[in-house]
Amino acid sequence: MPPAVEIVGLTRVYPPAGKRATARTALDGIDLVVERGEVHGLLGPNGAGKTTLCKILSTVLLPTAGVARVDGYHVVKDTAQVRARIGIVFGGERGLYTRLTARQNLGYWAALYRVPRKIATRRIVELLDRVGLADRADERVETFSRGMKQRLHLARGLVADQRVLILDEPTTGMDPVAAHDFRALVRSMRAESRTVLLTTHDMAEAEAICDRVTMIDGGRLLGTEDPRTIGRWISAYERVEARPVPGSLAASLAALNGVTEVESIDDDGVRVHTAAEGATQAVLRTLVDAGVTAITTGRPSLEEVYLHVIGARGLAV
Amino acid sequence: MTSMDLRDGRTLRLPWPRHTGFVAGARLQLAIFRRGWDSLLALVTVPLFTIAFLAITRHAGRTDLTAYAVLAPAVVAVIGMAILTSGEVVTQDRSNGSLELALAAPSRFPIVVVGRVLVVTLVSLVAVVEAWLVAWIVFGVRVPVPHRTAFAGALAVATLATVGTALLMSSVFVAARSARTFQNTISYPLYLLGGAFVPVPLLPGFLHPLCRAVYLSWATDLLRDCLATKPVPDFWPRLGAVAGLGAVGFAAGYAILIRVVDRARATGRVGHE
Repeated sequence: MPPAVEIVGLTRVYPPAGKRATARTALDGIDLVVERGEVHGLLGPNGAGKTTLCKILSTVLLPTAGVARVDGYHVVKDTAQVRARIGIVFGGERGLYTRLTARQNLGYWAALYRVPRKIATRRIVELLDRVGLADRADERVETFSRGMKQRLHLARGLVADQRVLILDEPTTGMDPVAAHDFRALVRSMRAESRTVLLTTHDMAEAEAICDRVTMIDGGRLLGTEDPRTIGRWISAYERVEARPVPGSLAASLAALNGVTEVESIDDDGVRVHTAAEGATQAVLRTLVDAGVTAITTGRPSLEEVYLHVIGARGLAV
Repeated sequence: MTSMDLRDGRTLRLPWPRHTGFVAGARLQLAIFRRGWDSLLALVTVPLFTIAFLAITRHAGRTDLTAYAVLAPAVVAVIGMAILTSGEVVTQDRSNGSLELALAAPSRFPIVVVGRVLVVTLVSLVAVVEAWLVAWIVFGVRVPVPHRTAFAGALAVATLATVGTALLMSSVFVAARSARTFQNTISYPLYLLGGAFVPVPLLPGFLHPLCRAVYLSWATDLLRDCLATKPVPDFWPRLGAVAGLGAVGFAAGYAILIRVVDRARATGRVGHE
């Protein structure tokens, strides 16, 4: 049985948008396999190529080179079969008919996916209940919050009982509670042995719900990791900002194990970068012992982690 | 019952027809109409136009033009909805983000659009009833239809031709640069060339060839002749002209829409966003 998603040498180059513009390579020969029943995270910053990959897999964009298969079907040659098997949820609030009700929206998409009406009617009730919108089924979507619209999007992606789901940054803009509920829904899909390819730029999200995580940046895959590894990166690559920090204390901080850099900020403050588990605690202890109380800690941006990881291992991840 | 060919050579019998995209589009458009009356504004203008046109013809003592004055507002409303409502179908899908999702669905998107445009056109026929009712209620004028079967046939074929033209507009408006300007300016030339206000034979001669390239000119002339007591001359050839030009519009619209979809897959952009 073929994998749920199989990608070999996939490349996508966007032609120049104007006379003075240049062609842009969004995907640069990527290879990826997503096994059946897996929740696979695609982690990368904005512009990394995540959405381009999702569009190619959902057949709405043609690759420039390479091959992508869904359930064994070629996304260019077997579009009808691919479309029947794949559910797609693009991030954001767009994509719904906001004047229509949730039930009417799902009814339309069920018909587009050729779900027989009797089955669609029953399934829509089940899905609305599952995503917590049963009580709002007959209200206009324009009255929904962003989180509710996203949940409706997820129901739309499941309306034809697709076994492969592509979720493109589904929690973008959601409040923490809605994002938490959304992740619970994704976990329930894994329990049903559905395959989910989820794109995100949120490392914590990837760690929370994915079986494996592939990092992508600049159209190239940097590597596939266990999400626990991602979690270690998050806890390892932290930064601590403190003030006032005299020069002697800054030197002490720089000498601690796991501290990679101490940079001056403003007139009297420092930003301490760590790259090892436990280093942050040591930095905090040193600062507190020295009587510094204006301290903040922060997690690194995805780009910063990439820089650390790529700097340490090159691109042969 | 339809079927789908599987890769291993077997044939899978499907319990649903392949035209569900058409039905889905039609049902969607009906739901949109029920939830948003603003897309039916063209129908609101019909009583106003009917009153204005009938008042003018009666003031001029031209009761012989009563049928013309009643038909014109209906034609204006039907074409108005073709331009403003049907013409917006694809553009609005692009704007609200549902276009890409629709392209990723198994149903063929152009078929979905045809379903939506058909519903818009059928609903716009309410304008015909409106115009007749306003003439009767406001002016006490009952416009007879001496050739009822011919009128019904001409109206049915004209409706299908309007679907073709509306499909052409919806695809051109999404594909063309500066489409909004084109959309806002096309209506009155179309009314004039289509003989909606003034019958084509009364227009300057140099316009006639241009008028005859527009299905509407054949349709309005034919409908007006069906309202006269004398026999309708050359009914079938003229009906054929309406059908033929409508079919050309439909084919062109469908082809452009397929090209728009293909270009979107190739370039990642739908028309000139």
